[in-house]
Amino acid sequence: MNWSSPLPALVLVSAVLAVGTYALAVLDRANGDRVARRRLRPRDAVLQPARAASLLLLTRPTATERPDAQAWALAPALLAAMAAGALATVPLDRGVTVADVDDGIVLFGAAMAIVMVAVYLHGWSANSPLPLLGGYRFIALALSYEMPLALVLIAAALPAQSLSVGAIVESQQGLWNVLRQPLGLPLYLVAGMGLGFWGPLNTSDAPDLAGGTAVEVSGPQRLAWELARRFVVVAVAAMGAAVFLGGWQGPVLPGWAWMALKTLLLLAVVAHLGHRVARVRLERFVVVAWTVLIPLALVDVFVSGALAL
Amino acid sequence: MGPFGAALTVVVATGVAVVTSRWLRVTLDPVALTAPERMPFIGGGQPEVHAWSRFHVRYYAMALLFLAFDMEMVFMYPWAVVFVEEGALALMEMLMFIIILLLGILYAWREGALEWA
Amino acid sequence: MGIARWLTPLAAGADVPVFTAIGAGGRALADEAALLPGVRLVDSPRAANILLFVGAVTPPLLRPLLGIHDQLPTPRATVWWPGRAVGGGLASALPDLVVGPAGDGDHLRSVFAELLSGERRSEPPALPDQEAAEWRGVGPFGQGGTGMTGGVPYGRPLPSRAPDPDGLELDQLPLHVGPLFPPFPPGLILHIELQGDVVRQATVGDNPFAGATEDLDQDGPPLDTALFVGALTSPTPIGDLEVARARHHLRWAARTLRLHGLESEGLRLLGLARSLAPADRAAVESLAQRIARSRSLAWTTRGVGILGTDDVTGGPVARAAGLAVDARLHDPAYQGLGFSPVVHGAGDARDRLRQRLAEAVQALELAERAGSQLRRPGPPLEGPRGPLGTEDPLPSVALLGLLPRLLAGQEWGDAMTIVASLDLDLEEAAVGQPAPIPA
Repeated sequence: MNWSSPLPALVLVSAVLAVGTYALAVLDRANGDRVARRRLRPRDAVLQPARAASLLLLTRPTATERPDAQAWALAPALLAAMAAGALATVPLDRGVTVADVDDGIVLFGAAMAIVMVAVYLHGWSANSPLPLLGGYRFIALALSYEMPLALVLIAAALPAQSLSVGAIVESQQGLWNVLRQPLGLPLYLVAGMGLGFWGPLNTSDAPDLAGGTAVEVSGPQRLAWELARRFVVVAVAAMGAAVFLGGWQGPVLPGWAWMALKTLLLLAVVAHLGHRVARVRLERFVVVAWTVLIPLALVDVFVSGALAL
Repeated sequence: MGPFGAALTVVVATGVAVVTSRWLRVTLDPVALTAPERMPFIGGGQPEVHAWSRFHVRYYAMALLFLAFDMEMVFMYPWAVVFVEEGALALMEMLMFIIILLLGILYAWREGALEWA
Repeated sequence: MGIARWLTPLAAGADVPVFTAIGAGGRALADEAALLPGVRLVDSPRAANILLFVGAVTPPLLRPLLGIHDQLPTPRATVWWPGRAVGGGLASALPDLVVGPAGDGDHLRSVFAELLSGERRSEPPALPDQEAAEWRGVGPFGQGGTGMTGGVPYGRPLPSRAPDPDGLELDQLPLHVGPLFPPFPPGLILHIELQGDVVRQATVGDNPFAGATEDLDQDGPPLDTALFVGALTSPTPIGDLEVARARHHLRWAARTLRLHGLESEGLRLLGLARSLAPADRAAVESLAQRIARSRSLAWTTRGVGILGTDDVTGGPVARAAGLAVDARLHDPAYQGLGFSPVVHGAGDARDRLRQRLAEAVQALELAERAGSQLRRPGPPLEGPRGPLGTEDPLPSVALLGLLPRLLAGQEWGDAMTIVASLDLDLEEAAVGQPAPIPA
């Protein structure tokens, strides 16, 4: 099957995003209830995301006084589109990649950079002070985590001698990158949580901004925004599974099952951290990102380079 | 259709799907909102001015630093591909390049460009 | 529509998204609402379908409340849990208002189900459809006219400039962050001049509870510190006082944790606080220690909002700044209990958090040791915020006065942290203030 033709590509990406997002929502809820010591029946836990989504679909969208309507409509679409584009570069099984380009890492990085634009637009177009603050905060955060993100992916590309994600997966035949480059996955997860403004790095949709960029959205718009945000997290988890956890490689089970398990593992880690770690203070995080995370990422690059020689 | 075409298709299709779903809802169920329903939320009060303003982006210095490192990233991408062929010399050269940029971060940190982020 | 009919049964099983607006005497009930199963408290009215108003409405609160009501998307309904006598003009402004039994989650869920199925109609807007800012100016976009910036585009003026410490002249947004803003204590109005994301200047607005507190004492326990106020005049068991103190501090900690993104941990604290007894000391201690040792929370709150020992005179805020003052030291009832005040050194938001958690644990210890010993009224009483029954103004008054100085120059997130860490109570600050003369 040619996964690069339109229909299979769309079906594959939609399926992965749908399943991954639902799984993330269930994991998130389960983690929250476990930390809060709340009891929830398994049936309720599994159905809650669908119920919440249908409630949002039945609620009417709102608007503000003088928003920039076009940009406001574009923002969740852009976020979702970038997540889908990023996911397209991830190999889901041997030979099953929607966009098996020679520089998949670069394409992924480019899509994740435009996430910054989407979140900022979402905050700015409402013409309301709290979302505006959220949008500007996100840009500060994004500029800080972009570098560690790109650097750890480059470090993973060194042993593979290629920027193609498929080649990186193949290069992990003997040893997964999470063991070969131990600094890589933690840094990648930090950057990934920033991309999806999740948990500790949720400065843009924060409770101290009463919801931040999502203050003024309701109904289907809110559903679109929340879904798009989770799409990004799923895409990040899938790429992390491919680049650090060996992708579709593994005994006994078929490749896509391994990929699914590894992605779910990363989603579980992200969901866990979202409920256990307090939100960072932006200024301090920026300082730490530039003075600690980037040097660590550079150490990662050079150590893995030295090992690859 | 090559892989880039497929990626582009996925991107455009997802974007169009989200925009269409929003437009559908709005056209199928158009009820005008009253003025109080469209008030920006600020805890019960009313806004005095537009939120659109010349916002003081305090992290502009850090953004310039980011530009420099972005260019460094551009150079690191092709370096990663040819690195193993070129051997230890490539490692040394990139190390020198990175050290110069790290000195830039050190300077920015000491000058307080990161503190006002 | 066909799809709506298919989605409604699915949506009826969802967690009810509720936006809580807290009026006079409603804070404890609002914390109860957070614990209800099948109910989810949201940060913004636009994420909610049910507006839960808890407490009594005072005239300055009415219009903001109606404004927030209109900001909820349809289908919407309002449920009122009055802590005391019903009144204040709310029922006339919202004809579909549902007065519910306080703390009843099933009632909330049934209102929500009726709303979705169509049995209960969605509430119409409460305020008249009048543009708050009409188009003005000469040209088609409101431009033109007289003055430096010409007309008023889209009805509202653009923000004007102000000098900035960086040497630039950039726009300053005047924000009147209202009485029902979720990160704030209920009733706090701050007039903030926001430049970028930094609060250049903050002034405290008129207390909406002024003049209402005379009615508060009549119909039951409204004030957060009602038990303590009562202990000023009648003998009260020390155990009750200390358990109330611990409960107060745990509830405050839960709200703060929610503000910092640890909502689930906060819910766990609330669950412990709901049925608090001296026997829960071990559970509270382990949880409190875990939270106090949380490195991410410490990183966020360290060095924020430092108060020195000459800024505050009593209460947990002073003890967190290093001042070992506590009215219980001079209280004969506490003499045999081995009480010594907990003190922290730095006086920042982190120490205030650790202080209150430590005091909650200490309060439960004291309650265990005191048993059913009674405290005689007479000497000053240490309330959860500071000493009561002295000639000094009530603790919240002094803390409110500190706000403008503390918030000037702070980034927004830090400003929210500071406001939350002071544990203000606008009702306490309003005691003795006359009602404002209606304009």
